Amino acid sequence: MGLSVVDPSLFSSLDPVVLQGSACAACAAHVFPAQGTCPMCAGIEVAPVPLPTAGVVWSWTTQRLAPKPPFRTDEFAPFSVGYIDLGPVIVEGWLLGKTDWMIGESVRLALAKAWTDDGETVFTYGFEVAE
Amino acid sequence: MTGGVNDVYLVGCSRTAFGRFDGEDQDLAEQAVRGALADCGLSWGDVEFAAGGTNGETKPDNLVARMGLTGIPFVTVKNGCATGAVALGTARNGLIAEQREIACVVGYDNHARGAFSASPARYGIGDWYGATGMMVTTSYFALKIQRYLHEHDIDPRILGHVSAKAFDYAASHPLAWRRTPVTVDEVLDSDMVNDPLTRLMFCSPDAGGVALILARGPRAFDLCDKPIRLAAVELRGRRPGSFEVFSPWLSPGVRTSPSVDAAAAAFRAAGVRPQDVQIAQVQDTESGAEIMHLGETGLCAPGDQGAGYLTGDYLAGGRLPVNTDGGCIANGEPVGASGLRQVHEVMTQLQGRALGQQVPGHLRIGFTHVYGAPGISACTVLVAEGASS
Ligand SMILES: [Zn+2]
Repeated sequence: MGLSVVDPSLFSSLDPVVLQGSACAACAAHVFPAQGTCPMCAGIEVAPVPLPTAGVVWSWTTQRLAPKPPFRTDEFAPFSVGYIDLGPVIVEGWLLGKTDWMIGESVRLALAKAWTDDGETVFTYGFEVAE
Repeated sequence: MTGGVNDVYLVGCSRTAFGRFDGEDQDLAEQAVRGALADCGLSWGDVEFAAGGTNGETKPDNLVARMGLTGIPFVTVKNGCATGAVALGTARNGLIAEQREIACVVGYDNHARGAFSASPARYGIGDWYGATGMMVTTSYFALKIQRYLHEHDIDPRILGHVSAKAFDYAASHPLAWRRTPVTVDEVLDSDMVNDPLTRLMFCSPDAGGVALILARGPRAFDLCDKPIRLAAVELRGRRPGSFEVFSPWLSPGVRTSPSVDAAAAAFRAAGVRPQDVQIAQVQDTESGAEIMHLGETGLCAPGDQGAGYLTGDYLAGGRLPVNTDGGCIANGEPVGASGLRQVHEVMTQLQGRALGQQVPGHLRIGFTHVYGAPGISACTVLVAEGASS
């Protein structure tokens, strides 16, 4: 622990890394990040839940041009973003390690360096190819 | 058959050139309104109800300071990409509910180069989303069309055909912005922005204004040789399962879209079927959007779009000419004006007086579709009837 991350509320655990969503007691819908109400059925009985850490690429793109602020980076290089089907929910996040992907590829959750703040590395979540 | 008391018709229209503009935002609005009034021989004093919208900072209802302080109700609309269609629906409803006869609808915007940056807080999302580079509209469009092409087995090269068609139509339209023809290969070979979308597949924010004059009942036929009946204008929002911009998560269940719902509602209200449509406009913020929206509106069976582009279905001589003024891709997107530009183009095509390429033959039924954040769509059905052509 002690790791610096872009937003602690995204995670239910950092070691091992697990994302935190929320699940609706009425309709079982999962959402990410966790929120206090259910947008699917308007239910209010909603509780935090750890999300699966493995899934498949549902869609992807590669960001070829540096986004405008509020995007933060130490040095821009093209990076991939995807929607990952985790089963109960499809989560958007970075795709790590390469810039050319295929829908259906198996991936798993990992931490990735987002930027450096006062010499300290700040991490976000991403998904890497699962061996 | 002509001019039932609760039938509302388009009797006049005007648009400015779209592109970069140096003047004041409301110069565009005023030019469009004066043009539309002249088009049907009316003056501002004849207008009994007005509705208008912009995504900018000016107040549309303050146009009365330029046009004349006649005391009429002027409703202001701010519904993003659906602004024009919502203003049109508001004016239609105003004419019927209040039994007035003449309404004016106006939409305009004058966006700076590269506008449309978004802040997470405005969409109720944490700062991390923007800071990690995911709050990017081009990325959203790319992720959405990438999935759509995969699910419907459409060749990504079709994206090049969409833009090439847009620039081809615009080349013969005197008021479009980007009027230089571009080949399919030039579109595909331009800089990759977000795979699979290249630079020449995107529209840009720019400036423009459009105005329409509406008339209720038999009066329409005194003002215009060929009034176009506004048979439907329907607005819908997102339901669970829609795939909208700035979504950190999606539900894995059945995919829905406000475009599907708005189009179905418009066809139902007008009593026509998608296959009856002879000329259409669909939201083409980028080339993938046009492909998806042809499917979502029912104008083409999902998956058949590729064959449609390859066989020329959407060209002026084809089965269903689409975005015949060059659409957003070639006109840019002044948000407040864009939906009314669509109506202007379909109206003039139905009347046989298109400013650019006129679609041949006798056209009777037209359709328009807009779609935008945060998950809204508006569709219209326009019908030419009455006077022979
Ligand atoms: Zn629920």
